[in-house]
Amino acid sequence: MVDLIYTLVSLIVIVPLALFLGVIYSYLLRKLSARFQWRVGPMFRMYGDLKPLLGTTRLLQPLYDILKLYGKETVVPDVSRRRLFVYSPYLSLIFAVAAIFFIPFPGMPLLSGVPYSLIIASYLLIASILFTILGPVASGSPWAAIGARREVELFLVSELGFVLCVFAVAIARQSLVIWDISSGGQSVYLALLTVTAGALMLVAMLGKLHIKPFDMPEAEAEIVAGPYTEYSGKLLGTYYLTKVFLLYGLVALFISLFLPPIATNVLWLPIYIVAAVVLVFLLTVVQVLNPRYRIRNAISWYLKVAIPLGVLNFVIALVIWLVV
Amino acid sequence: MGIMDKARIYSPWLYHLHCGGCNGCDIETLAALAPRFDVERFGIQLVPSPRHADILLTTGCVPKQFIPMVKRVYEQVPEPKVVVAVGSCACGGSLFYDDAPENYAILGHPDLLIPVDVYVPGCAPKPEAIINGVVQGILKLAEKRAKK
Repeated sequence: MVDLIYTLVSLIVIVPLALFLGVIYSYLLRKLSARFQWRVGPMFRMYGDLKPLLGTTRLLQPLYDILKLYGKETVVPDVSRRRLFVYSPYLSLIFAVAAIFFIPFPGMPLLSGVPYSLIIASYLLIASILFTILGPVASGSPWAAIGARREVELFLVSELGFVLCVFAVAIARQSLVIWDISSGGQSVYLALLTVTAGALMLVAMLGKLHIKPFDMPEAEAEIVAGPYTEYSGKLLGTYYLTKVFLLYGLVALFISLFLPPIATNVLWLPIYIVAAVVLVFLLTVVQVLNPRYRIRNAISWYLKVAIPLGVLNFVIALVIWLVV
Repeated sequence: MGIMDKARIYSPWLYHLHCGGCNGCDIETLAALAPRFDVERFGIQLVPSPRHADILLTTGCVPKQFIPMVKRVYEQVPEPKVVVAVGSCACGGSLFYDDAPENYAILGHPDLLIPVDVYVPGCAPKPEAIINGVVQGILKLAEKRAKK
């Protein structure tokens, strides 16, 4: 009974917490990439004389963007399939929020102990991205159609990488329950798997979050805003909110799968935060060092590098399963 | 001031509409977004689609062939919105604009088509002036909300 109440309370607590952490990660992504480009980026401490007008800190800049979008007029184009266009951002958000319920946070196992939670979480993350494709397709804009097509192509290969690395870990640890994986111990062989599968997961995260070498679905100046071209106001704000939750969810999934047992006990919380910041830092480094790939290059890169790496993961995982 | 009004002031997104002209103002506008002046400090971002924008930043005088596009882009920007006209051409037509005899190709300043809220004169205006104009635009944006 106590367990049930604790789970229910933690399910309610995790949503604002995930929003806050996701906003901080997005802020870091923006701030660090600005610093790498010799810009200042959203100010952490505003200049003294501008404080009354512009606020003391911009730590929550991504949240302000979302709030502003919620306060704006929402334009729905006449040529769009109205129902699909309007509902897909909300469905995408619901799936992203549902996914974070299955990923543990230090001190909060949430639903990660239910059977097959790894499959449920990966399915929900995939479904969330699927609705970021469906909505734009329904908008009737050629730019959105091109963006959605690129997104589908990227989605096919990046999901393959994601699935390969996630299930390599599942085979090595012989469990499909995230909680079992994240509370397991470490050994030399598993650390080796963490390095190879973690690298692949990082690459899959780049594709899922549209970070620089793989941001061709929303290539500005090339296909306007890609899938989001026709979206405005609340609907666009919902997509941005989904992105914040996805960023949190993928970072949390990475830590709970590859860096056990950080995501289990509340005492690990400082290390969890450090690991998350390092992960966001790595994503930012990749973002600022790379130009945008063409979609064909991205797919061939995935097929040449990421998929063999995924197969290597499987071999390592099988060796761990059979030998160790 | 509520959190929504604050958010409106904290994250103005710009859409850069180049109506026509010599590109001088566009270069200065991009300089305002580049590392030296970096307006992202204040949350200002350049967005690729007019549907995402709060502030429509127009440069140059409008050629007659471009009239429908200017109107359409203006209508696509969701409310509340502000138009900032940058450069002499966008403020008064500059040397391209003449009442009589009328130019066969050029209509003149965008104010003839769409309501402009802030004018930033200069040929071309400095990035500091453009940032100041955008800040005036943000203040107008806050007022527009207050009226509703």
